[in-house]
Amino acid sequence: MTIPIKSRRAFLSSSACVVGTSWLGINMPLLLSAGEIAGANRESEAAFKNLSPRDAIEYAALVNQIIPPDETPGAVDVGVVYYIDYVLGDFMAAASPLLKSGLEDLQGRTKSANPAVGYFSELSFEQQTGVLRLVEDTRFFGALHFMTMCGMFCLPSYGGNRKNAGWDLLGFEHQHVWQPPFGYYDAAVHGQTPVQEDEQ
Amino acid sequence: MSASKGQPKFKTREAVDFVIIGSGAAGGVLAKELSTEGFSVVVLEQGPYRTAADFNHDELAVMYKNELMNHPGWNDPQTFRRYENETARVKRGGPPPALYARGVGGSSVHFTANYWRFHQSDFMERSLLGPMQGTGFADWPIGYEELEPYYSKVEWQCGVSGQPGPFEAPRSRPYPLPPLPVKSSGVLFDKGARLMGLHPQPAPMAILSKPYKGRPACINCGFCMGFGCESNAKSSALVTMIPLAEATGRCEIRPLSTVFQIKTNAAGRVTEVVYLDSEGQEQAQKANAVILSANGAETPRLLFMSESARSPDGLANSSGLVGKYLMGNGHSVTQAAFEHPLNEFKGVQVTRIVHDYYENDPGRGFYGGGGMDARPFLDSTPIMFSQSGLPHGAPRWGLEFKQMLRHYFTRKMAVLGSTTSVPLLRNNITLDPNLKDDKGRPAIRMTYMDHEDDLAMATFLQDRAVEILGAAGAAEIWREPVEGGDIQAHLLGTCRMGNDAETSVVDKYHRAHDVRNLFICDGSSFVSSGRGQPTMTIQALAFRAAEHIARFARAGDI
Repeated sequence: MTIPIKSRRAFLSSSACVVGTSWLGINMPLLLSAGEIAGANRESEAAFKNLSPRDAIEYAALVNQIIPPDETPGAVDVGVVYYIDYVLGDFMAAASPLLKSGLEDLQGRTKSANPAVGYFSELSFEQQTGVLRLVEDTRFFGALHFMTMCGMFCLPSYGGNRKNAGWDLLGFEHQHVWQPPFGYYDAAVHGQTPVQEDEQ
Repeated sequence: MSASKGQPKFKTREAVDFVIIGSGAAGGVLAKELSTEGFSVVVLEQGPYRTAADFNHDELAVMYKNELMNHPGWNDPQTFRRYENETARVKRGGPPPALYARGVGGSSVHFTANYWRFHQSDFMERSLLGPMQGTGFADWPIGYEELEPYYSKVEWQCGVSGQPGPFEAPRSRPYPLPPLPVKSSGVLFDKGARLMGLHPQPAPMAILSKPYKGRPACINCGFCMGFGCESNAKSSALVTMIPLAEATGRCEIRPLSTVFQIKTNAAGRVTEVVYLDSEGQEQAQKANAVILSANGAETPRLLFMSESARSPDGLANSSGLVGKYLMGNGHSVTQAAFEHPLNEFKGVQVTRIVHDYYENDPGRGFYGGGGMDARPFLDSTPIMFSQSGLPHGAPRWGLEFKQMLRHYFTRKMAVLGSTTSVPLLRNNITLDPNLKDDKGRPAIRMTYMDHEDDLAMATFLQDRAVEILGAAGAAEIWREPVEGGDIQAHLLGTCRMGNDAETSVVDKYHRAHDVRNLFICDGSSFVSSGRGQPTMTIQALAFRAAEHIARFARAGDI
């Protein structure tokens, strides 16, 4: 079959920074155990391994722009910065130069627009949004967006998706066994009364 | 990762009856059938020997790092171009152009498990409709009636759940298992289709709806498409055929064995298969006969790599058709959101299909036919959904984006249209002249652009999908663009079967016209594409081929 073009574009762009990963197939057990360590680091709020303290602060501001906190956790709460810290030392290490140059560019734009401010993270949330709009079509933002989505919705062992908070946002329940009815519209077929969402 | 115990260990320098290259849908059937018939068999599989315990729900590893598809030992890139006057390139990230799983069981391990039978017309459309100039439009050398008993074998030996539909060709046996439980997408699709006067039916799926042959029923975990089945309910070759082959004591599965040449002698007969073993060491297994079941991309690649002075254009390629007429099935995707949650992340991908548009209809103004099904498609898992699941024009970040993620994930479904592919010489698999893998093997180069009729048919199905989803009461409907694709998971037609050695690569028994003791049986054998979902037919062909190959071997006619 052909992967249709629209979905494929998104699929590919989202995968664009996963390069040079052919070794992953043979190293997966090691990678997974490393991932579990990433999860443990997040839980213990251990020091970042690959991000400088300054970078961690900037990434925190950036990923919270992509998934802000509201009544539910934002990207930082979910552990996305820990996820980024982990993957930049692992299978997405190749994306480091892109992120580094992108972050430098972003800081330059921040200072140009707001000379009194030293860093993107020091802008107000609304000001950050305005600066980020200037770069939202760049490869830097694409990579950051992809990493944020992965950090939000990956297995928690990678360091993100803390306490399944990313999945909770979507309504995705991770369990291995389901029985019908699965959703509202197949309930009657399976002999049950459809359940409204707020009752579920 | 573990290999089965108790297999024989054949000596490489002593000829076995058969070496089978590839352990997937076809290779698994051939291994089981021929070893059961008393022949000694060595199966060479480039991927690892995984079992259910090795499969998981790690979306990042499976869908983005291509864990089940990457070569396990080294980088093996592919290149792609749409037309032959373009330079083929390696894509930056994402799945490769020829998309297949590496591992014992092949792509049947990670497939979605749609198991439609072909219809009678699929085998004889050239006779029914007349020629299509400039194409390889042709009849198969066999008909549905000849293949029907083997379709039944697949259903009963592997385990297929389903219920005959109104357009299905005659069958000799019922399905062994009832349909899987319908999902909300199936209920809505069924409702909309009936309101449109169509005839939806339960989807035939190679996934167990009830315990069968020592395997458990599906637990509806939702991780089918692209993933290995952790409960062995998916009827892959890994869990249906390979264990039976091993149980004969006459079949040795050699995982992590990457073939790079099929050697022939001065008489033009195949003598041995050369491969790199799990240690990267070169080995050569002697064989009385070789069966190539490596898939529609790897099979022509190996034939090209097995060129010799006698076969300068590639082994078994006197017709010049090795690698040609690649068909992938055209597709269209129509998305919809409903008021209430469907929760499409639960259960198998597909529970209802429509075959009302399966046959060609001259009134449409173009050649083709297709099937439709309801499914979550790429949005059943969270990361994939977050990348591409929202309606076009939706914000990509910020609070509104977050709110839309929250709203749409549980409320979405898609209708997938799957169509015919016109066989064209311009669509093919060749060796890339400039790129090799880490071991020096020429890379697979895919050249592919759908025929305009394929795209027209895909669009026609999308128009119908919009009507069906509207009738079902969708709150929103949006279309994904119908364009040529650069990823093919159905790799068909590249060593087509036929009676004429000048216009086909193998005969109707899958024997290479040029090489008496070489057989080729996988998706490459197809003459036409069907309407998507080819694995059922690949396995039926393999059961049939095994019967004839065993007959030839017993008669000394190999």
